[in-house]
Amino acid sequence: MIRHRLTRRLIVATVMVLLAPRTAGGQAATAASKDDGQWTMPAKDYASTRFSGLSQINAVNARRLRALWSFSTGVLGGHEGQPLVVNNTMYVVTPYPNVLYAFDLTQEGYPLKWKYRPNVNPAVIGIACCDLVNRGAFYADGKIVYNLLDGYTVAVDATTGKEIWKTKIADVYKGESTPMAPLIVKDKVIVGTAGGEYGVRGWIKGLDLKSGQVLWTAYSIGPDDEVLVNQATFKSFYDKGPDLAGLKSWPKDGWKNGGAPVWGWLSYDPTLDLIYYGTGNPAPWNVEQRPGDNKWATSVMARDPDDGSLRWAYQFTNGDNWDFDSTQEMILADLMVKGRLRKVLVHFDKNGFAYTIDRATGEVLVAEPFVAVNWAKRVDLKTGRPEMDPTKLTGASKGNITDICPTLEGGKNQQPAGYSPRTGLFYVPTNNMCMDFQSAQVNYVVGTPYIGAGAPYKPGPGGNLGAFIAWDAANGKRVWEIKEKYPVWSGALATAGSVVFYGTLDGWLKAADARTGTLLWKFKVGSGVIGNPITFTGPDGKQYVAVYAGFGGDWFLLSGDVRSDDPADVRPAATFMPDIARHTSQGGIVWIFGL
Amino acid sequence: MKPTHILAATTPVLVFLVTTATAQQANPPAVRYDQHISAGGNPPPSGTLTNPVKGDSSAAADGAKLFGAFNCDGCHAGGAVGAVGPSLADGRWRYGGSDGEIFSSIYFGRQGMPAFGGILPPDAIWKLVTYLQSLQPKEDNPTVSW
Repeated sequence: MIRHRLTRRLIVATVMVLLAPRTAGGQAATAASKDDGQWTMPAKDYASTRFSGLSQINAVNARRLRALWSFSTGVLGGHEGQPLVVNNTMYVVTPYPNVLYAFDLTQEGYPLKWKYRPNVNPAVIGIACCDLVNRGAFYADGKIVYNLLDGYTVAVDATTGKEIWKTKIADVYKGESTPMAPLIVKDKVIVGTAGGEYGVRGWIKGLDLKSGQVLWTAYSIGPDDEVLVNQATFKSFYDKGPDLAGLKSWPKDGWKNGGAPVWGWLSYDPTLDLIYYGTGNPAPWNVEQRPGDNKWATSVMARDPDDGSLRWAYQFTNGDNWDFDSTQEMILADLMVKGRLRKVLVHFDKNGFAYTIDRATGEVLVAEPFVAVNWAKRVDLKTGRPEMDPTKLTGASKGNITDICPTLEGGKNQQPAGYSPRTGLFYVPTNNMCMDFQSAQVNYVVGTPYIGAGAPYKPGPGGNLGAFIAWDAANGKRVWEIKEKYPVWSGALATAGSVVFYGTLDGWLKAADARTGTLLWKFKVGSGVIGNPITFTGPDGKQYVAVYAGFGGDWFLLSGDVRSDDPADVRPAATFMPDIARHTSQGGIVWIFGL
Repeated sequence: MKPTHILAATTPVLVFLVTTATAQQANPPAVRYDQHISAGGNPPPSGTLTNPVKGDSSAAADGAKLFGAFNCDGCHAGGAVGAVGPSLADGRWRYGGSDGEIFSSIYFGRQGMPAFGGILPPDAIWKLVTYLQSLQPKEDNPTVSW
């Protein structure tokens, strides 16, 4: 009798546990993200910290981590981005053709509940600059929302896998493609376009979460009314106008194919009610075809999510000479800077400087190199402008400019950093390379690359091509560093267990001590890691770590012979990393690890 | 400077026109500019076209310049060694390596590759073909050792 009662109680308890997350999941994304057991948006939270409060896996037991499950996605393109975990279901978006898998974490072997197979236009294969990547989905209001590479945003019912809406946002026939992950704020889905190498004019759009209807479009460059900027609401620390949209910082009509795409990550501050994101390079790369600052390319933009209006902006690299996109994430944190508690955003730019910026005004508080930098001596905090080295300026008439650090891959590229409020440190995957840069006059031919430069790479100081570092953003100082043989192209995951995770291009997933950088554990996952590890709590109450393997991204283009699916495509090895193909080839795999 | 676009006034029925062109070994017709991106699909047989400037080193040199000027190197890399697009310098061909097959790939486009027939005249395409043919290795070595 007693035993029977206990059993009934257990059943009731179990049912309640099963029901609880389902109820929570029906609420807005802000509510769900407080639940550290889930991972409902690309960067874990609106502040883009990629920090989880889970702590079962810690610096003592991390050495006991083991692989528990894996699944081939069947897709060879580079697997950037990260899975979502919501209501005991793991959602995985593949690179083109952008299949969406829903794995049932309550069943042995995590079988699929469903898979969604959109019809994606293969013409985009020639329009995506740098492999056919997708940077992930966003969960809100019972929907999985993500971008198809050929310029559509879709919302899929998280329970049934049925398509709820599909909206055309971009035009592949103009060189636009859409690899980025959306950000959902209140009832708006915010999306942007890639195409800086195809002479697009970059933008972000706000879509209605319910219907998918496009509500506003905000261009990165162009006239004030298309950049959505006006004197009444635009208050920027450095740029006071009157040329708010920066039209005069371009040659006549140059802005029309001027790039400034948006293909990286977005953040949101609910208190200031501002979204933050970075814009990409101005087009073409040959700077002599576009004299001027080229605003607002290579900039951080702060906009009102409701109507898209621009509140402030700051340009990192004025009149970019080196393809220094600024699409890297903006991590929001409250830090003591020079004795004052400041609401800041921290940004690790392609140009090699780490910026700590007041996120209400756009004032640069700290700007220090986080990798080897020689194109600029320093950033003047009074003017916000870098002091450029004239010998490193490029242009078609200047010939081959040698030994510029960092390369156009950036000190950091798409691979997102993480931030632990426990340690106060930022965890940054970095590249350590320098380049020669030779520009040439280039013609705009719609739908073809609009580049006009060649830039071979070489290893940076020390010879290692990458490193995973811990960064003190209040003081602009590196705290520790793990040198890596190859560029570190995976994102970072920080946890309350004082363990940080990242992956390597030669196919290791690694765990390190968040305070010291001591390597705790590693596992070879079958292909190079360019995705971003996440952590979640399974239905059994245990903490797990998930990550994609799947070599690619820029390295699909630049590594030499890493593909094995095409007998007619055999390439010489890359001079700067001649043996990467010894350690990895392409191939997408989803992994789950646990204790 | 922007390239001259050759625009046809009306929509050509591609298969009909190309069949005619092939039979007469005349210059194939221009492709409409809005077909420039994804003409792709199923190009007509092109085995009978022959390269009128095959092996001509000055045509190859002109082709090398066109390879840069029309942004071919943006996808296939300098030297056509392969980047986001496949290698065209390895002596191997996904869509066939005969004169006419290479010509067709450029003229009509392939999956992911725009059709350049709308923006380049046939003699320029033959120069590109000649350039690519000049890159082919003497022998195919299938083994890489470390």
